[in-house]
Amino acid sequence: MTVLGEFALWIALPVAIYGMFLGFFGGKTQRGDMVLSAERSVYAVTFLLTLAAVGVIAAFLGDKFQYWYVASYSNRDLETFYKFAGLWAGQRGSLLFWALLLSFFSTITVFQNRNKNREFMPYVVGVLQGIFTFFLVVLLFAKVNPFEKLAFMPADGQGLNPQLQNYWMTIHPPMLYLGFTSFTIPFAFAIAALLNGRLDTRWIVLTRRWILLSWFFLSVGIILGMRWAYEELGWGGYWFWDPVENASLLPWLTATAFLHSIQIQENRGMLKVWNMSLVSMTFLLTIFATFLTRSGLIESVHAFAEQVRIAYIFLAFLGTVTAGVVVLILYRLPQLQSENRIESFLSRESAFLFNNLILLGAAFAVLWGTIFPLIAEGVTGQKISVGPPFFNKVNLPIALVLLALAGIGPVIAWRRASKRNLRKNFLVPVVGSFAVSAALWIAGVRHGLSLTTWGIGVFVLIIVAVEFWKGTRARARIESESLPIAFFHLVSRNRRRWGGYIVHVGIVLIFAGIAGASYNQDVRKHLMPGDTMDVASPWGHTYHLTYEGLSTSIGRGQRNLDWQAIALISVRKGDKSLGNMTTEKRKYTTADQTMTEVGIHTSPEEDLYLILSAVDDLSGVLSNNANAQGIDLQVLVKPLLSWIWWGGLVLVVGSIIALWPSAERRRDLEEEKPKEVAVPAGAA
Amino acid sequence: MALFLGTAMVAAAVVIFIIQPVAKGIHASLERAEDELTETEARKRVALLALRDVEYDFLAGKLDENDYRSLKGELTAEALAALEADEKAREQVGSVGPEDVEAEIAAIRMGLHGEAGAGCPDCGFVNESGSRFCSACGHALQAQVSG
Repeated sequence: MTVLGEFALWIALPVAIYGMFLGFFGGKTQRGDMVLSAERSVYAVTFLLTLAAVGVIAAFLGDKFQYWYVASYSNRDLETFYKFAGLWAGQRGSLLFWALLLSFFSTITVFQNRNKNREFMPYVVGVLQGIFTFFLVVLLFAKVNPFEKLAFMPADGQGLNPQLQNYWMTIHPPMLYLGFTSFTIPFAFAIAALLNGRLDTRWIVLTRRWILLSWFFLSVGIILGMRWAYEELGWGGYWFWDPVENASLLPWLTATAFLHSIQIQENRGMLKVWNMSLVSMTFLLTIFATFLTRSGLIESVHAFAEQVRIAYIFLAFLGTVTAGVVVLILYRLPQLQSENRIESFLSRESAFLFNNLILLGAAFAVLWGTIFPLIAEGVTGQKISVGPPFFNKVNLPIALVLLALAGIGPVIAWRRASKRNLRKNFLVPVVGSFAVSAALWIAGVRHGLSLTTWGIGVFVLIIVAVEFWKGTRARARIESESLPIAFFHLVSRNRRRWGGYIVHVGIVLIFAGIAGASYNQDVRKHLMPGDTMDVASPWGHTYHLTYEGLSTSIGRGQRNLDWQAIALISVRKGDKSLGNMTTEKRKYTTADQTMTEVGIHTSPEEDLYLILSAVDDLSGVLSNNANAQGIDLQVLVKPLLSWIWWGGLVLVVGSIIALWPSAERRRDLEEEKPKEVAVPAGAA
Repeated sequence: MALFLGTAMVAAAVVIFIIQPVAKGIHASLERAEDELTETEARKRVALLALRDVEYDFLAGKLDENDYRSLKGELTAEALAALEADEKAREQVGSVGPEDVEAEIAAIRMGLHGEAGAGCPDCGFVNESGSRFCSACGHALQAQVSG
């Protein structure tokens, strides 16, 4: 099976090259047979890449350590589940995995459009096959072939990094990769539009749901990564502005900008060049993210990569695509002129534009902070790092303006908002926001940034709530429906809009949770069994912790575990018992360092986070010496932290509503149109 | 041997599958399907949706009457231009719709040009032509042109 997989990879390359040329050439010469052949080549590449992926998985499951990749990321004791996930555990497999996911999306695209949107398809296929060609060249010629064999057959593999043996970690990379790869489809359609000259909103309409889908996967992937860091890295944070985290955030920022700016093009025929640039930029950033993670260029928590050679191939690809896009946009510039102008600073257009500039500003700041150390190292020869203070300082004000726009955008009028319009829509939310902020101030909240964040959050929540209420009420009156039915119809008739508002609510919750960090408590104390420690929560109550003792389990060797030292702590919150919590040190047979497993107690108002920072006498503990029980315990109280995860969940719900297939658009129009401007049945 | 045979068969199957359309002259369509929107149709659709939205905003109480009227006036003019552009495009390709469709377009144009206004049956307020609801009392006006 594995040999067949390797062979499949070699056949896939000529097939992809063939498909690329036939796609472009068939489109140019309008040869239907060539185009059909090119489309079939997409199915063929999918089939071959699937064979290759099955080959890799088979090698993992069969413990075939003669393969370098299997020997480096697995061993006999590894759980079957993680062996299966070996496909994306390391650089080599994940490059194949990237191509595989893209091939699935490509197949769906080609199949969906077998009878429609035919003017786009030759070029779409050409672009997709071009990208496959690139990835196959990398896999086969950049010394990252997952099927590369060792000169000998090791008795066992080196095993998987224990930090990656976590359920979040098995779904976080696939989610991100789904996001990265699905964004290739809108990019392919954009390039097809530039090539075939159909430069109205058609390519956007066709790829809207792909864009949303990609954004959804990216968001979920990022949130899962945060959750993994929070639970597994053991320092109580969820985001460290690590280059790889930044790499996943960059395309998210530009994709978010794109998601908003296409609405201006759809509604007002503006920003055409901008949208072409944004879709290309986002695609390039997904490639850049893959490159950063998987080229070994930057050492970070995630970058378990080996060679730098592959970097040149990636950079060449990024450069070629950028040049190609610039040339195409310049070539089509006359057809990409705006049909309208922004009429007023106070309008939804300018709110969207502002949102775009801010997202791009944030993306630039993050990109700069990520690659600056590389450039500096190249110039000065010294490795420096840009730490969280830089990113926080730059991004916090940006983020707050963005949050405010999440409220302003939905209600400000298109074209130009009159003073009356502004008063009508913003009076209640602004007053409500100030009222809540004042109440928080009186209650003792004095941290300026957090107070501002929560104040703006309330502003957005009121706006969204009022929007839902006004919409439902109007619909109930017009259609004589009951309120619940009117609400349901309201949302289902314009899922993108209302789903989007729900996503805004999710974002507010996430921001509120992040702002809670200003009130974090961090206490560290040396404890002997029976010792107690009190930690005050900013909410006013106190946690009473009693250290019960340390228990060890040694040498069972299951799941590659060498030993565990588990500290048991009983916890009371005020007078109420919360039961026992544990935090532990672990040593895996496959890693040199000991790992810390934290204990987390979650409630809506705060998380209690226990870290076993140090054990006095480890060898004593491991030999069950009753006197060697002293530990250092670090206790963190993290207000509102779980709001981040709840916000993520709301975001998921909102995205799914927006993504849900809506009933035939034409029917929408038929039913909802103002009667006097009925659309002829055959025309819409 | 079995492995060699297996891989050779996979390769052969892939090649035949891909080459077949070119070898046998099987063509995929490259034409626009009939039910796809042309550029002018898409433009028209956007203009009509914008009209729908402004009406919704007004009814939801987000726009006051002055703003509503001025916006609606602009949007109506744009919708009309889009309708005419679309019609012109149709004539150019020579595809004239069925008679009832033509009649409907004419009716829409009448409505958009504002040649007929309607009194509200409830309160008597004379509304802008083509209004779906009375601007004064919100009463549903049975549209002058049936949709």
